Amino acid sequence: MSLAAWVRRARTPAPAPVKREYAFFEPADLFDMDVKDDPEASPVLCCTGDPAGASAFNALWLKRIATTGRYAAAVSVRGQGGTPAAEGGLEARAHDLVQAAVTVPRQTVLIGHKEGAAWAALAAGRYPAAGLVLVSPQKVPKQPPTPVGGPPVLIVVAESETQSKEVQAVAAAYGTAPLTFAGSPDDVFKGAGAEGLLDAILSWLARKD
Amino acid sequence: MQEYSSQAAYDRGEAVCVIGAGASGLIAVKNLRENGFEVDCYERDTVLGGLWNPQNQHSPLYPNTHLVTSRSQTEIPDFPMPDDWPDYPSAAQMLAYLTSYAKHFGLSEHIWYGSEISHVEPVEGSRFEVVVKPAAGNAARRLRYAAVIIATGHHWAPNLPSYPGLDQFRGTVLHSSQLKDPSRLRGKHVLVVGGGNSGADIACEAAVNAASCVHSVRRGSWHLPKYLGGEPADYALARLNSRPKYLRRFLTDRLLKGPARLAARMGVAADGSPSEEEPVRNGRYMEHVGDGSIQRRGEIARFDGFDAVFVDGSEMRPDLVVLATGYRPKFTSVEPRLLGIEGDSPYPKLYARMFSPRMETLAVAGLVEPGVGVLPIVHWQTHAIAHWLLVRKSDPERAANFRLQVRSEAEQDTARPAGSSPRHQLAVDAEEYLASLGRIIDTLEQEPAK
Ligand SMILES: Cc1cc2nc3c(=O)[nH]c(=O)nc-3n(C[C@H](O)[C@H](O)[C@H](O)COP(=O)(O)OP(=O)(O)OC[C@H]3O[C@@H](n4cnc5c(N)ncnc54)[C@H](O)[C@@H]3O)c2cc1C
Ligand SMILES: NC(=O)c1ccc[n+]([C@@H]2O[C@H](COP(=O)([O-])OP(=O)(O)OC[C@H]3O[C@@H](n4cnc5c(N)ncnc54)[C@H](OP(=O)(O)O)[C@@H]3O)[C@@H](O)[C@H]2O)c1
Repeated sequence: MSLAAWVRRARTPAPAPVKREYAFFEPADLFDMDVKDDPEASPVLCCTGDPAGASAFNALWLKRIATTGRYAAAVSVRGQGGTPAAEGGLEARAHDLVQAAVTVPRQTVLIGHKEGAAWAALAAGRYPAAGLVLVSPQKVPKQPPTPVGGPPVLIVVAESETQSKEVQAVAAAYGTAPLTFAGSPDDVFKGAGAEGLLDAILSWLARKD
Repeated sequence: MQEYSSQAAYDRGEAVCVIGAGASGLIAVKNLRENGFEVDCYERDTVLGGLWNPQNQHSPLYPNTHLVTSRSQTEIPDFPMPDDWPDYPSAAQMLAYLTSYAKHFGLSEHIWYGSEISHVEPVEGSRFEVVVKPAAGNAARRLRYAAVIIATGHHWAPNLPSYPGLDQFRGTVLHSSQLKDPSRLRGKHVLVVGGGNSGADIACEAAVNAASCVHSVRRGSWHLPKYLGGEPADYALARLNSRPKYLRRFLTDRLLKGPARLAARMGVAADGSPSEEEPVRNGRYMEHVGDGSIQRRGEIARFDGFDAVFVDGSEMRPDLVVLATGYRPKFTSVEPRLLGIEGDSPYPKLYARMFSPRMETLAVAGLVEPGVGVLPIVHWQTHAIAHWLLVRKSDPERAANFRLQVRSEAEQDTARPAGSSPRHQLAVDAEEYLASLGRIIDTLEQEPAK
């Protein structure tokens, strides 16, 4: 974030605070002798544009991420899941995500799905994420802010999306070629497609750490 | 230097040394690491957080210390405070915040506690040899670094006034940093000296806890309430800076009209208009003056046995005198010349308030009183310092141009008078200083011309 961007934000009214709903899973919660909390591995914080919010990641994601020794969390931004609605658009939702990120014990990777990718992209412009993962991104601003602290960026899209103008614009903005996963962008929380997607993300994360 | 161990210094290569693990030191470590530097941070105390940690042996916190700057204007730009915290967090919250910052970015593993730096000496051109004062029974350690950042704060050495008869005064005299426990005020006739934030805060504590409270100031100061127009005052005023210039003056005057009238009525107003002098930010003070629980007096002339005698001839008999007369900066480990300290003044003269005028690889973080939140300023300072060290290594030509720019920024800066009391040497106009930092960072971040 540039100094000028910070000055502007510090002089803009902050979004009304909301009590945010979280879901999380720590390696210790698995009760599996083979899984140890890995202090070197960055935690992961997820969000999705799906109205279910944080709980969408309960079916598969959080547990699977924790299996790799990572602290795994998800947050519902205002108006999603168990988080009450409150005024504010994209900026306010990015604010919710940054607020969630600073409660994670260590510097965290941000994963955003669909519209959640837009919130994650904005949040990464204010908070030095350990990594930024955009899954089937939607509504990402044409010129997203430069991520603070230069984290690695991964874009993953469904095969059906590779030709979409929107996806290509996001990929160009970050200067990175998207990975693809088999399946539908709306069906990423469970099933075979979801597992393939998650494996791709986790092996990217493992290479990053 | 024979007292140092005869062992050869341990060479830390390209690593950077940060001195102090207060807010400024922590931010420096985080921003240097983010830019790829290896960092060793030395803290003389056994805890982090500097003056915000009451366990720090030298902490100047007094009863009920709260921030005087509001949350949104105080938080570190890339690590906001929780948004369910109050507008003006307490000292305990500030410490919790700094602790979670350190934990979040894994800073502790780079901090050496109980390690006071006793000496910093230039060696081999632009490098430094750093001497860590030995803990009991051990030999001093000596290490070499590519750069040193001093973040030792400037609120450790009390500025103590002297008055005729003070030595023989029969009551208790404490500096504001020694007060600590509010029970010390209970039932006492208290005289508070000094019209800064510490003096005003402690007078308010005495107003509700002590038997009586007299507040002695040698001149008026600029007072701001904690809220203006329904918003935290610093935020409300900062927002006006994004308005067009011709409106700004008008809007500012309108916002400050009420408080200014009140200050005039209470006889606490400064002469002239609000300047870049740090304001006293206190919402309770005027109420206590208004209901008589704080009695204002002028300067003290002398002490006489049990009595304090004021310049106007009046007297009182205090049980406890609290000298809230501020601090003096003190740099013991580095040769004053390197920080541009000359003559009798203890105040450094740095380029852009952070770079040594003599050594390219020596900088100071947090040595400003911007009248607004200090942490964001330190964030951008250390961001600039880290980028400067990168540019210096990678692009000598750009580095040379940059030095010229910084020097000219420094010249503009000293062209302006810095407030009316010696303590205002550290005062900067936040708006101008941020703009100057912005220009510095822009230059450093420009893509090198190919
Ligand atoms: C009572 C009070 C209230 C304040 N309130 C506000 C406020 O509301 N808002 C605001 O923005 N600012 C406020 N400030 C300003 C404050 O200075 C900054 O907020 C900030 O804490 C400065 O941090 P620092 O790291 O520069 O200094 P410090 O917190 O002083 O930390 C310096 C550290 O360096 C260590 N050290 C010193 N010498 C050595 C050495 N030789 N070797 C190794 N370690 C060493 C010290 O032990 C200490 O831990 C207040 C200051 C005071 C005194
Ligand atoms: N709650 C908070 O967040 C908080 C609380 C306290 C302090 N602080 C910060 O900490 C820093 C230090 O504050 P401070 O109030 O301790 O000190 P300060 O701002 O330096 O104020 C010292 C006061 O003592 C007076 N003084 C100095 N020498 C004197 C003398 N010989 N005789 C009579 N009066 C004398 C000064 O008067 P002159 O103006 O005439 O020199 C001034 O009024 C400031 O940056 C302040 O904002 C913050």
